[in-house]
Amino acid sequence: MTGLLQTLILGILIGGVYALLASGLTVIFGVMRIINIAHGALMMIGAFVTYTLWRDLGLDPLLGVVITVVVMLAIGWVLYLVTVRPVRRAPVTTSVLLTFGLAFFLEGVMGFIWGNNAVAARPSYVDASISLGRFYVPQALLFGFLLAIVIMVILQLIFSKTWLGRSIRASASSEDAARLVGVNIPLVAAMTFAIGAASAGAGGSIISIMGSFLPGMQILWITRMLSIVVLGGLGSVPGAVVAALILGVGESLVASYISPRWAPALSVLLIFFILAVRPQGLLGTKLREDVAQ
Amino acid sequence: MLAESPAGRATPLGDGRAICLKGGFVRKRPVSLILLVFAAVLAVAVFAMACGEETTTTTSGAATTAPTAPATSETTATTAGEVKPIKIGTSLPLTGARSVPGNAAKMGYEVWVEMMNEKGGLLGRPIELIVKDDASDQNIIVADYNALISQDKVDLLLGTFSSLLVLPSSAVAEKNNMVYITPAGASPQIYERGFKKIFMSQQSLAPDAGKVWANWIAALPEGQRPKTAAYPTIDDPFTAPVVEGIEAILSAAGIKTVYKDKYPEGTTDFDSIVNAIVAAKPDLIAHGAVFEDGVSLVRGLLKAGYAPTYLFQTTAPTQGDQYSEGIGAENTEGIFFHMSWAPEAKTPLNDEFIARFKAKFGEQETISEDSADAFAAGQVLAAAVEAVGSLDQDAIADWLHNNEVQTILGVLSWDEAGRPQGEMMIGQWQGGGVEIVLPKDLASTDTIVMKWSPKVLQ
Repeated sequence: MTGLLQTLILGILIGGVYALLASGLTVIFGVMRIINIAHGALMMIGAFVTYTLWRDLGLDPLLGVVITVVVMLAIGWVLYLVTVRPVRRAPVTTSVLLTFGLAFFLEGVMGFIWGNNAVAARPSYVDASISLGRFYVPQALLFGFLLAIVIMVILQLIFSKTWLGRSIRASASSEDAARLVGVNIPLVAAMTFAIGAASAGAGGSIISIMGSFLPGMQILWITRMLSIVVLGGLGSVPGAVVAALILGVGESLVASYISPRWAPALSVLLIFFILAVRPQGLLGTKLREDVAQ
Repeated sequence: MLAESPAGRATPLGDGRAICLKGGFVRKRPVSLILLVFAAVLAVAVFAMACGEETTTTTSGAATTAPTAPATSETTATTAGEVKPIKIGTSLPLTGARSVPGNAAKMGYEVWVEMMNEKGGLLGRPIELIVKDDASDQNIIVADYNALISQDKVDLLLGTFSSLLVLPSSAVAEKNNMVYITPAGASPQIYERGFKKIFMSQQSLAPDAGKVWANWIAALPEGQRPKTAAYPTIDDPFTAPVVEGIEAILSAAGIKTVYKDKYPEGTTDFDSIVNAIVAAKPDLIAHGAVFEDGVSLVRGLLKAGYAPTYLFQTTAPTQGDQYSEGIGAENTEGIFFHMSWAPEAKTPLNDEFIARFKAKFGEQETISEDSADAFAAGQVLAAAVEAVGSLDQDAIADWLHNNEVQTILGVLSWDEAGRPQGEMMIGQWQGGGVEIVLPKDLASTDTIVMKWSPKVLQ
């Protein structure tokens, strides 16, 4: 029983981090109908920026997230203008191909700047744990989890309380109607992409203290994030959160009680099942592609 | 659906009517053209970076490289005049998940080429090294080796890093009847395909890599001998057989296996794996690790507050500073690993290799054994080519099957399938550095730390 509860604790914590990582990806799709395969690469850039701030300035990675987010916001904005904007109106497959290429391009840029060597940010608490009776809670994971919650709450506040958030939601609901009421669609799209990149960067800050990382790991992360987003429903943030927790806990249980070999199969099995039973994902809504385009 | 209006035309919130009146039929952006241009540019860029990165290094005796010369694309003009260089080709994982050993191997090859060319090259001709980047991908490496043979028309081949990539690339070499000397590729299955021209430039294959250590553990006095052991490993053709080899010896010695499992490549969450291992309370953990997984599992153990008496890992602990930075230098004390090379080894040319490496890449650059293995692969190739006096692939292979080669790793020899016939050394992290502890006759110290002692758990 102790083992089971310990597994659940670890699963929920890792699920919370996954939720943050996936939320930016799903928001970008929700508003722009773009599946950003470069999201994993943006996460790794965030991790490297955080690592650099920690290494050179001694800034704690979880505090450094403030700077990382600003840097990633700018990078996201530039990337949008240079690469994504020209394909905004193209079919989804085009954006998939484009961002797929972008992901590897960014991997190359990271290799050029930081090298293809593994690095890890190691603040003092990185391998410490908090003991709760017979359980342990890894501090880095706990802090990462809490930071993920804070950032998701901020994201939620932006979406629900600000003009920008309302514009983003209006654009997601109906771009034409949003334009008719005066929403600056290109600006909103750029902001959405930049916010998505910034949330990926914040996730990268957490990744930087979870273990060693190198540019090539972007593909591992994007694979998992896509699983979560599809499972939760493309475009649905609550869906991504639920799916992330299901995957986090599910994979932990499978890794502990069946075999770590089967842990990645869980996401594939869940996606297979959900696509057969509820193609729009757990909390997704059906796209009206019949008339929308 | 309406097309997007040009940027800047939209009016502020609440002024929607104006936009209707002004906008009318909104101009449609010529998306397809821009799209095509961007797709083309990006495709070329990505192709160049991910698949086709090619570095050519030709150094000559007259050309000396600055001490801090970068490891990337450098082309130094040969001064050998009309003499046609010998082209040697390889494809390494310079990017992607295996980029750590890939880049280390590239450095080793470059040092070897530089030292060879200073001595007059091979068969009196300068060596031109062509390095492609396979991005740690099995499909790309097949394309790379095919291109090296058919387009670049290389005279000789050198191998790549990690068994996963040696498996397909050695098949391309064999099909083209070319000798393939590889610095890595210790998975037994590589040598079970009846190939005649593959040779590995390390001392032993994976199942025997941890043999010296396992025999030492099995022979410990009763009070020090562990009673239980855990064997986690990444699902990799190299690491899994190492761990199985250790388990076979320890099980025969009565040490009970309490955990044994494989996790797939790409696993990022090690806390749950560690959770299951800790629940089994092993006295010894023999971990088949590549790199990140090695760091992550150790960190998972630290977080769980669990330190087994004996901790052995493959590969990861050989990566010097990257490993100690990953788990914290203060937590490395007592970790065992197998190693093919050590800076302290008193083998011919070893000191010159180290000096040249430091001169070329900087004093602060740690020399990984992967660089030394690559250097040794070059030594093996050169010895065979010089001995037969030609580039005849059959003659080179025959010679290697029947002779020994002195390298910086020691003397290497091979059986009929290209399996090396020696024994790996066992290293241990001690006082923030690495010592050779086994076998005793090669040991750099008499001390063996008898317990893994991470500072964070003290």
